[in-house]
Amino acid sequence: MQFLSLPYISIGIGSLIIGACISLRAKSPRMGAVVSSIIAFLSFLLAAREVALINHGRLFDPFLTWFDADGLDAVPMAFFAALTVMFVTVAPKRDAGGRSLAGMLIIAAATQISYAGANLAVLATGWWLTCAPFILGMFGKYPGRRFENTFLIASSIALTAGILLLHHIEIDELSHTSMLAFGLLIIAVVLRKGVFPFHGWMVHAFEYGPLLPTALLFNGHLGALLIARSETTALPVTAKHALDILGMVALATTVITSVRAFAEKKPRRLLAYLCLSQASFILVGFATANVQGITGGLIHWLVVSTASAGLICIVRMLEVRLSVIDDPSGHLGLATKAPRLATFFLVCGLALIGLPGTLGYCAEDLLFHGALENHPWVGLCLPIATAFNAINIMRLFSILFLGVLPKHVIDIPDALPRERWPLVACVLFLVIGGLLPGRIVSWRSDAADQISGALDYQEPHTPSASGH
Amino acid sequence: MSLQNLILILIATPGMLFLGLSLVWLLGGNIPERAMSRLTKAVYSLLAIITALIGYQMWSQDLTSVHVSLGDWFTVAHYGFPLSLLIDKLSLPLVGITVVLAGIVGSFSVRYLHRDPGFFRFFLLLHLFTFGALLVFIADSLDLLIGGWELVGITSVMLIAFFQYRPDPVRNALRVFGTYRIADLFMLVAVFLAHHWFGTASWGGMFSGDWPGHLNKLDGGAASFIAVLLVFAASGKASQGPFCGWLPRAMEGPTPSSAVFYGAISVHAGAYLLLRVQPLIHSSWIATSLVIFIGLTTAFLGTMVHRTCADAKTSLAYASQTQLGLIFAEIGFGWTNFAVIHLVSHAMLRTLQFLRSPSMLRDYNRVHAAAGGKIDPTGEYFESLLPKKIQIWLYRFALGRGFYDAILDRFIIAPVMAVARFLAIFDPDISPPKVEPVTQPTTLKN
Repeated sequence: MQFLSLPYISIGIGSLIIGACISLRAKSPRMGAVVSSIIAFLSFLLAAREVALINHGRLFDPFLTWFDADGLDAVPMAFFAALTVMFVTVAPKRDAGGRSLAGMLIIAAATQISYAGANLAVLATGWWLTCAPFILGMFGKYPGRRFENTFLIASSIALTAGILLLHHIEIDELSHTSMLAFGLLIIAVVLRKGVFPFHGWMVHAFEYGPLLPTALLFNGHLGALLIARSETTALPVTAKHALDILGMVALATTVITSVRAFAEKKPRRLLAYLCLSQASFILVGFATANVQGITGGLIHWLVVSTASAGLICIVRMLEVRLSVIDDPSGHLGLATKAPRLATFFLVCGLALIGLPGTLGYCAEDLLFHGALENHPWVGLCLPIATAFNAINIMRLFSILFLGVLPKHVIDIPDALPRERWPLVACVLFLVIGGLLPGRIVSWRSDAADQISGALDYQEPHTPSASGH
Repeated sequence: MSLQNLILILIATPGMLFLGLSLVWLLGGNIPERAMSRLTKAVYSLLAIITALIGYQMWSQDLTSVHVSLGDWFTVAHYGFPLSLLIDKLSLPLVGITVVLAGIVGSFSVRYLHRDPGFFRFFLLLHLFTFGALLVFIADSLDLLIGGWELVGITSVMLIAFFQYRPDPVRNALRVFGTYRIADLFMLVAVFLAHHWFGTASWGGMFSGDWPGHLNKLDGGAASFIAVLLVFAASGKASQGPFCGWLPRAMEGPTPSSAVFYGAISVHAGAYLLLRVQPLIHSSWIATSLVIFIGLTTAFLGTMVHRTCADAKTSLAYASQTQLGLIFAEIGFGWTNFAVIHLVSHAMLRTLQFLRSPSMLRDYNRVHAAAGGKIDPTGEYFESLLPKKIQIWLYRFALGRGFYDAILDRFIIAPVMAVARFLAIFDPDISPPKVEPVTQPTTLKN
């Protein structure tokens, strides 16, 4: 059992929890929230560095040994901590009240608990805790809150029941109980990630719910984490078939949500469909069960998190600047007044759909190749969904930023310095990661190797790829 | 300096320029018009010199092709993304016209867009476009080519929407983007299938020997299918066949961008792709027939519509489409050298025509005056040989631009929208009840 040199994970999670407590009581809560999230980011970054130094092996936290960091979760932990810094920094004033910031920090801490959990019980605890701020109403009242909470609670119950069942059975036995247990885990994932046909609640949460906390909840990708964790354990054949089916359902989600988005013009709903569609690519990647596909899925996880965070933040910034954005009757033409926000939006959007030169392209290239190798029809469906999503992101961009500026919009500020720097960081990650993807691919390919190894997947013999 | 280094500088310069300028602007910096103008002129002069040096060295060393291998961009398991470049007898002329014509258009635009609010944006996009176009022409594989292909597409769309404060350019840009994405799908699928079935998408893996005498290494139904997909992808970029509706819509952009994209370089990328994969296309009678059929039918449609257009740029767009159709047919018939000469000369002539289009009336008056006011039309044309009924029918057909948009709207867009609306059954409607606005009694005021 190897340990981290310092209890980085405990420090990170502790810092977020303390930050949440401070935010609840402080007069100017943003400062406390930003400082605590930065401390958490640095802690998780150092933890990820130590994990990288031992070739992405497993390191336990020396203080709380039910936390660990390994090749699969170390990078997402640091990454999610960075997203938390971004969210609490760019949150507009009206979203940066004490309860709201505390709620976001609790979601962040809970997500990190799930990532760092050394067993499924800790993962489930984090899973439950992420729902707490929504259930407790820390973000105020909004239409359909109960509907959203129902899905969150249902997914948590399914996960807990599945874990309890798994605890009582032999994992290798092919029994109805084991099938039920894995079935429950998959139901938990489907409900949590908003996989078709249960995507409606997520769209609703994006439309009416608090946008930034919902984005934080969405970008945790705990469903994908659970699948990746399940795949790293030696699964019985039944469970592997179940994961195949989950992959097919995720594929259906990518295509159906991308088509459904054509009938939408409300920015929040359009954004929700785009994010759901692209996030489902991650599960499709995991279902390919080969190294390329899984690596593609893991990199796409980072791309979706970064790009969707950028897009969601920009939409929220525009909402607080302009009241007509909820359901615009036509084009808003905001590029004239906010050209930098328009540029950030375009780069994030194009990275999300895999424009060459961005990290999204590398992720999708690997995903498509991986998918084609195992399931040719999946490999053919993914580019179709990407093409539809590209058209939809362009539609959203044109609704928000192009066209005639409404007469009542006299002046709105472009990206403020507080907003500009996190967005620049997002864009730089997506573009530099796209131009020099080798390092990022190596961060994730070890975890992919581990997963595909656990799946005992035999690479089919193919002629030497790409002309080598 | 070695040829390999020259090629690397050639491709990297516009890309680095774009990245550097973008970063400066995003962080709040501002670049004055004069600096941008000087920088553009200096960079394109440098690129032209580098291209000339590459051509000279290849000629003096009697080289037919130069490969630059940079290893793999990224590698996972047995799959690697090859990063290699190729300059040969086909790519060199296209690189030459890209550098020269983009430079000329850049120089022209300095005055044309003087004090335009989008001045900086135009030049940023021009540099990105140049990078994308050079990547298309010197990529050594379909994998890398598609990178440049999509960059050219996105810059094209952003320039169509250049006058973003008007609704029509925005609407048309979106339509063009949609067409591009659907056409690019064919390319993407072709690349992935090439990897899947043959384990390669590099020119060296697909063909043996140097262009133009290169031979096809792939065969069978799979190769034929890939060839057909590539024909459709090329048609999308060149506004041919089923994708012929976007080119006139693209005329909403500023004239210099129309010149460089739809007169000079971008529309010819499709023809370049066909020339590059010509042996693959000729190995399949289906793909060969398809190229000839698409080319000739588009040329016929283009030449008819061109005669009924009321504005100069749209007329030029259809004229371009006609010539591209003929180039496609020439490639299909195997007249390779003729197609290359046609392509290069068409690019040059069309750029001139587009750049002169804002002053077309003045030009006409000047020529008219120089000829002593005696250049009257003859009143004779070949259509007059047809029966009157057919003439009227053809005129209506041409006036309606082949009813392309109506067909597209009715048979493609409407069904997709119907499916999208149908899928709403999976989204439960629990939106808050809409409160009817309280109507106040109105009083008439004088």
